[in-house]
Amino acid sequence: MSGALTHIVDDDPAVRDALQWLLRSRGVASRTWESAVSFLGLAGHDLRGCLLLDVRMPGMSGFELFDRLRTSGCRLPVIFLTGHGDVPMAVQALKDGAFDFVEKPYDDNALVDKVLAALTHDAIRSSREDSVHALRDRLSRLTQRERDVMQRILAGKPNKVIADELGIAMRTVEVHRSHIFEKMQVRSAVELSQALGLLADLSENYSKVLK
Amino acid sequence: MPTPSSSGERTSRWRWLWILPRLAFILFVGGVGLLLWMSDRADREERHATLISDMLWLEQNLRFHLTRNEELLGRIDRAHTANPRAFESFARTMLGYESGLRQLIWLSTSGAVRLAHPVTTDPRLVVGADNSASSKQSFRLALSLGKPVYGAAYPYFGDEWQFEVHVPVSREGKLVGVAVGIYRIRDILGDSVPWWLAERYRISIVGDSGKILGTRSKVESRVMQAGYQVAFDPPGWGLGLHAVPYHAPRPLTSSILSASLVMLALLILWSLWILRRHVLRRQAVEEQLRREHAFRKAMEDSLDTGLRARGLEGEIIYVNPAFCRMVGWPAAELIGRRPPMPYWADDRLDETRAMHDRVLAGDGPEEGFEVKLKRSDGELIDVLIHEAPLIDAHGRHSGWMGSVVDITERKQAAERERQQQDRQQSTARLVAMGEIASSIAHELTQPLAAISSYCTAALNLLRNAAPATEVEPALDKAVEQARRAGQVVHRIYNLARHSENRFEPIVLAESVETALARMDVELRQKEVRVVPELMARLIIQGDPVLLQQALFNLFRNAAEAMRNTAPDQRQILVRLTHADGYALLTIADRGSGIDAKTADRLFQPLFTTKAEGMGMGLAICRSVVENHRGRLSFEANPGGGTVFRILLPMAPP
Repeated sequence: MSGALTHIVDDDPAVRDALQWLLRSRGVASRTWESAVSFLGLAGHDLRGCLLLDVRMPGMSGFELFDRLRTSGCRLPVIFLTGHGDVPMAVQALKDGAFDFVEKPYDDNALVDKVLAALTHDAIRSSREDSVHALRDRLSRLTQRERDVMQRILAGKPNKVIADELGIAMRTVEVHRSHIFEKMQVRSAVELSQALGLLADLSENYSKVLK
Repeated sequence: MPTPSSSGERTSRWRWLWILPRLAFILFVGGVGLLLWMSDRADREERHATLISDMLWLEQNLRFHLTRNEELLGRIDRAHTANPRAFESFARTMLGYESGLRQLIWLSTSGAVRLAHPVTTDPRLVVGADNSASSKQSFRLALSLGKPVYGAAYPYFGDEWQFEVHVPVSREGKLVGVAVGIYRIRDILGDSVPWWLAERYRISIVGDSGKILGTRSKVESRVMQAGYQVAFDPPGWGLGLHAVPYHAPRPLTSSILSASLVMLALLILWSLWILRRHVLRRQAVEEQLRREHAFRKAMEDSLDTGLRARGLEGEIIYVNPAFCRMVGWPAAELIGRRPPMPYWADDRLDETRAMHDRVLAGDGPEEGFEVKLKRSDGELIDVLIHEAPLIDAHGRHSGWMGSVVDITERKQAAERERQQQDRQQSTARLVAMGEIASSIAHELTQPLAAISSYCTAALNLLRNAAPATEVEPALDKAVEQARRAGQVVHRIYNLARHSENRFEPIVLAESVETALARMDVELRQKEVRVVPELMARLIIQGDPVLLQQALFNLFRNAAEAMRNTAPDQRQILVRLTHADGYALLTIADRGSGIDAKTADRLFQPLFTTKAEGMGMGLAICRSVVENHRGRLSFEANPGGGTVFRILLPMAPP
């Protein structure tokens, strides 16, 4: 949960340095990498911030690095720096989930604006990911019986029906219900439903989580 | 045009024709045979008639002899019978008449032999002998009748036959005896038949059983034919005179006639056969010739290659169907035509005519030549023609034979191929150039991007009122990057630029010729003529490779500018002169010229009017010329087209 950083990957040291100066002049912290490989070697999965990626580099190209990051599950927003002839590929990268691309020669402050937007986007993403993480944490603390009860509460069934279905006393259902609300840190069935709905939105593993 | 059935018709007509002489021959032979047969029959009938009359005459003659002898015997008187001597004398007289009488006997009325001459001891001759019954019978009959009586013929000695005549003799009404005459049959014939008769016939006397009793024959060993027989009276007793004509030789003239007729017939037959054989052979040869002709015609007709024969004067004497199809004119309209031919392309008449004259002069290219011909519908076709002298059957040179192959498709395919290749090459060049340009661009983009970023950063800091010490490093770095960009540009410039120390003395005329030689194939293909007027010994200082490249580009532009010019107008005039220490090379084409809009940008790099051009040619030319401290300019050609002028300083002498 360290501070967000803008990672600059470019083979040209002057460009790297100039971009770092540019970002610093607008108060954006950055770190530079001289090649795609060096970035891959040092970067962990829990990176925060964004990635400024030069398309043309000797060795591994920008697009290749992008593909690798995507397959390894890194969701860092990526802004491509492209030359004249690379626009079609950049558009394709955009479709594949890149955040944006900037064609050289670029307007520097506009570039910084895009970096800021990417940082914001990443921050939101991070916070959402955090809340999902917390929800999952809470869900994992429920017992099997509590999960059974919760599923029925979410389906909108009254306590009496739940008791009949599970073959337990209504009183026991009420106890489970209050435990569930306590563990999930909600006050009502409606809040519970909203929290789990958010989780469903963010995670395709929702059903897996519930089962 | 012979049809397949005509040969059958022809043979049947020939067959009919052949029946006529055969019929005539058969009629002729039949007629001659009939004539010969008829004449032979007439001849035979005539001879038969002669035979009959001869026989009647002979019979008459014999009868006359016998009758006379009877009378003489009847008149025998006493004096004759008085003594043997008198009787002998009488007998001698009688026998001397040559009438076949051989013996005389005087018998008494009792039948006793009184006298005989000649005297014979043969008992059979003695009248009254036992075995002479017929003789006795005749004797008695003669006595009783008082008339001469003949006895039957009997063999006398071997195959000699004789008969007797008994003549009663009476004197003064009183029978005194019987005179017997004995005739020998062979002697009758020998005495009474004249030689000329005996020559013609075999004459014999036959008995009643058909037995030959005596014969008179001069010629033996001849085949006997059926003859003619008359009764031999008065002896009677079934005796007959039989005559068989000898196989008389035919008359010589008739034989010659017959023989000559047969010869004639044979001759006719032979000549007819010879004629027939000749005609058949002729017919076979004719048929073979016709077949050969038809085969050759079929070959010529089915050929794809056009054939055209011309006389010594250049007039067309033969074309095959393939040629007619090729040029679209019927053979009837072509044969006999003299140049200019209707299928000559209008805009190349002179050229075609020149080639035509060359061929007629015997100077045509042996490897063949290509010309453009015009079809009757106006379409132009490319053909490849091979001409060869036409030698007739007598070994005389009677004209020119040409084979014409349509190579329009082939040429078009080759042209397409070439254009394709050109396009590929220029595409490859473009790609290569794009790569170079792209890498140059990238080289420059990096420092420029860095400069921009540094400056923006400096501006941002200044706007936020940052202290100068904080801003300065960014600007320092920007300056550094600007220098770096400058170095990149300088490096590229060095790369593109030739160093000047490669200069050497160049004979300009040679450079022009080398460049033209490099273009030779292309010029010929584009049908462009180059007229060089080059002043020799003009020497400049320069880079021969660059200069040649520049000239090459200019010639190529000139040739390509005339793409839409008529072929006979496609001409490049290259003139090399000098003035004021400068060599002046002008390259004048008759192409489409250069309009004002194009003229402004003509020397700009990457400007082109050609679909496949890169726009580098003239830019390179100008840079090369200027490198040589010269000047490249252009102006409109007064007769259409453009003139490029190159001024180059001459090397000091």
